[in-house]
Amino acid sequence: MSNQFQRDLVALVPKLRRFAFSLTCNAADGDDLVQSACEKALRNRDQFQAGSRLDSWMYRIVQTAWLDDMRKRKVRGPSVDPDDIELGDEGRGASLPEDRMMLASVTTAMASLPDPQRVVLSLVAIEGLSYKEAADVLEVPVGTVMSRLSRAREALLPHLGISRGGRQ
Amino acid sequence: MRTVMDKDHLAAFADGELSPEEAAKVVMHLADNPQDQAYVDELYAANEALARAFSAPLQEPVPEAIREAIMGKAATNVVFFRPKPKLALALGGLAASVAVAAVLLTGLSGGPQSTGIALGPLAAIDPVAGVLNTGVSGALVQLPDGRTSMVLATFGMPDGRYCREFEVVDIAGGRVDYAVGCRAGETWTIEATIAEAAVEDLGQGFVTASGDEANLLTQFLERGGAPVMLDAAAEADVISKGWSDR
Repeated sequence: MSNQFQRDLVALVPKLRRFAFSLTCNAADGDDLVQSACEKALRNRDQFQAGSRLDSWMYRIVQTAWLDDMRKRKVRGPSVDPDDIELGDEGRGASLPEDRMMLASVTTAMASLPDPQRVVLSLVAIEGLSYKEAADVLEVPVGTVMSRLSRAREALLPHLGISRGGRQ
Repeated sequence: MRTVMDKDHLAAFADGELSPEEAAKVVMHLADNPQDQAYVDELYAANEALARAFSAPLQEPVPEAIREAIMGKAATNVVFFRPKPKLALALGGLAASVAVAAVLLTGLSGGPQSTGIALGPLAAIDPVAGVLNTGVSGALVQLPDGRTSMVLATFGMPDGRYCREFEVVDIAGGRVDYAVGCRAGETWTIEATIAEAAVEDLGQGFVTASGDEANLLTQFLERGGAPVMLDAAAEADVISKGWSDR
């Protein structure tokens, strides 16, 4: 059953888990999302165009699956229970207490963003996609990516404890 | 924060979206506008904080359930753990291809004593203790007896200790020993070892017979809860502190 498509998919899993973790802000939910997305990708592998980017295709499937799941749960607005928010690797990668607090505040602030803003911020700031690549994944204009990114940062920056000035 | 230049343009600069010419103009603008520089710094810091906050999955093995969902159940004895810098692992069947079955896993299974790396505390003068004290993951160390050693990964354990997974390659003997050494007080103690036959792989180093040592050592490391693999910076930090900050 193994073939190149499956092997490429396995190789992408760490990045997909990071993306899903940043959307759900919970590692277990993120893994469920990745598994569901991979199963969906395998069912629809005929739709993947050889020569195109598998990572972009998978990011789209993950974010679509996440939004579908959110709709099924009829969750609106802030969608993550603060008690379920996890600090990646339980914060042990961050050696100083203030460093851990900062990472915790990042995760909490991310969870508070509206879903479309969270997706864009994750694709650009965490996954390192260009605006054009993020727009392709989300099938929206580049201008929409920029406006969502701008609003996400306006909401996020004041909560990170790294702001050096007052709000505009 | 109020800025002189449009914030979206500054964000595009921070995100690497501008052409070299446009970016150069922004750089010159920032030199004269410290408040805009502060905003760009803030964007950089936010991007870095976001990347760090969600980076854990990049340092973890692919969960078995996800691998199984992709590759199918039959492939689950093929264990991808993490890149081993020097060894190319042959991914063959487990039982049929284990050439040297000297598996010693404390608390998991018994077996004959390996003659390569013995279980128990290491003497401070043992060269392997030196490797565990100061070796950086992925760096090859020549031992006085001609063998080579390399730390493969460093873990923070749920019980507060540090453990290091490492290999010792005996080229002359055609043997690779994998082991887990854990720090207790001032002493490293070998808690698990696996010995495998190694065959030369035409300039690619050595290939182990089964490739299953990662699976067994992972089981061992995870027996008391999920360990956290240290990244390079965290590992360097704890080495510099003499393994004393937990």
